[in-house]
Amino acid sequence: MISLKGLTKRYGDRLAVDDLSLELKPGTVTGFLGPNGSGKSTTMRLILGLDRPTAGTALVGGVPYQRIRNPLRTVGALLDARAVHPGRSGHAHLVALARSNGIARRRVGEVLETVGMAGAARKRAGTLSLGMSQRLGIAAALLGDPEVLMFDEPVNGLDPDGVRWVRGLMRSLAAEGRTVFVSSHLMSEMQLTADHLVVIGKGRLIMDAPLADVLAGSSLTAVLVRTPHAGDLAARLRADGIKVDRLGENELEATGAAIERIGDLAHEAGIRLHGLRTREASLEQAYQELTSDSVEYGAGV
Amino acid sequence: MRTLWQAIGAEWGKLWSVRSTWWSLACAFALTVPTAVTLGAATATDAVREGVAGVRITASEPVVSATSFVQFALVALAMLTITSEYASGGIRITLQATPARGVMLAAKALVVAPVMFVAGVLSGAVATVAVHLVLSIDVFGGLVVLPVGEVVLDLLGVGVFFALVSVMTIGVGAAMRSAAGTLTVVFMLLMGLPLMLLMTGSQAAVDASMRMPMFAGLAFMGSTDNMTGGPIPYSAGEGLVWLLAWAAVAVAAGHAVLRRRDA
Repeated sequence: MISLKGLTKRYGDRLAVDDLSLELKPGTVTGFLGPNGSGKSTTMRLILGLDRPTAGTALVGGVPYQRIRNPLRTVGALLDARAVHPGRSGHAHLVALARSNGIARRRVGEVLETVGMAGAARKRAGTLSLGMSQRLGIAAALLGDPEVLMFDEPVNGLDPDGVRWVRGLMRSLAAEGRTVFVSSHLMSEMQLTADHLVVIGKGRLIMDAPLADVLAGSSLTAVLVRTPHAGDLAARLRADGIKVDRLGENELEATGAAIERIGDLAHEAGIRLHGLRTREASLEQAYQELTSDSVEYGAGV
Repeated sequence: MRTLWQAIGAEWGKLWSVRSTWWSLACAFALTVPTAVTLGAATATDAVREGVAGVRITASEPVVSATSFVQFALVALAMLTITSEYASGGIRITLQATPARGVMLAAKALVVAPVMFVAGVLSGAVATVAVHLVLSIDVFGGLVVLPVGEVVLDLLGVGVFFALVSVMTIGVGAAMRSAAGTLTVVFMLLMGLPLMLLMTGSQAAVDASMRMPMFAGLAFMGSTDNMTGGPIPYSAGEGLVWLLAWAAVAVAAGHAVLRRRDA
């Protein structure tokens, strides 16, 4: 649905987005990760035609955003929840958006109901809490019943119930066959929400892979082995170039090989195993590893 | 075309859903009446003192002169339709909904201009009646007259002037984006520069000053009594052409910035 080819954006002498190529597929939640200043928001603005790319293209359904007729009915996006005239009510804001794209007015009531802010819809936007503003922003994104949804940090300011609600919403939108592209800093949340991950650092693509592959590929994903012959097995595995730590008398932790390979090697060596299991890295750990050399504003100890 | 109509509908709704619109209109009304009455009273007092026979004051004439002061309340309204969106970040949502920059800008202008026209005509009509009532008092010598045809033309002129100034303001707003920058540029165009040019006294500067929006507007509205101390030295038609040109240049500048700069 969304396809980026060589997308590049330069601000002065700083490359915010550097030769980014991606395909976002329908029916999946794609998590968009990267440190602060890595170019996530800029990428989203480029897709929406708000910023002009220095080079490359961003297409939605094969055409640039500017050429989509009634674009809110194709792409719904939440970039900045506070970006509403503070004196205008949420209801009036949504009515104006609906009019601008020929969306039936009843949709306004429907999306307000969906995001659970029907009660606060007549309040002026400037008086809403951050959580309520997020809900209004999500309502605006859903208004045109679009095939593509983009959310920049949607759970910002939401309480735990709100976070759980957003997670369910993303999953159900993807389950309906829509393309969902969501950025977040909350790794534990992404691990629960996303099917696919796009990681960027300093504007460059670091990884574009299914969540499961990202986790499996982390060096922190380890295979734990329990065996009465720990010493022998450790020697056998090390001989094969696998990193092994001895955790205890009968326990080893092997990294850099899949569980099947460890089992096979033990079998070939005739070593009895009492336990064999994978300990997956958390997304947080995998992410740290991927982005450690591309953090824009590192603390620099 | 359909896109433009939809965008106009959205802008119309947005205009009336914030309080600043009502405040600006209320200010325009509240300013027009006393300003016009004061200017009318001053003219009448001068005429009575000089005692020239046959002088008549058309009740809408001071209303036309008052536009030089009242225009800023309406400039504020026109300005806010675009600068408030840049201030809040709402412009990004507006452009997501209406990505064609020209359509977005045209929609704002096409909503604000008619509102300004009506505001100018209505506030002018109220002020004209007030001027007529006050100047009918004996101390003002009973010089005031209310020739319907002339008054109607004056009021329509005021409406058109406000509409074009607001279009110019929207163009400047799109180019400048901030309220402070927009207000500065519009104030300089409407009042600062022309008065500075007048003060230099050189003929070329005075001629240039006369072509700037405020004096062009006064020429268009047929003003004979204004801060230049006399009629503008060219026709009403030429005044309209200059006004249209200023509005067009401002809108073109705004459009160029919208197309080139990131939102």
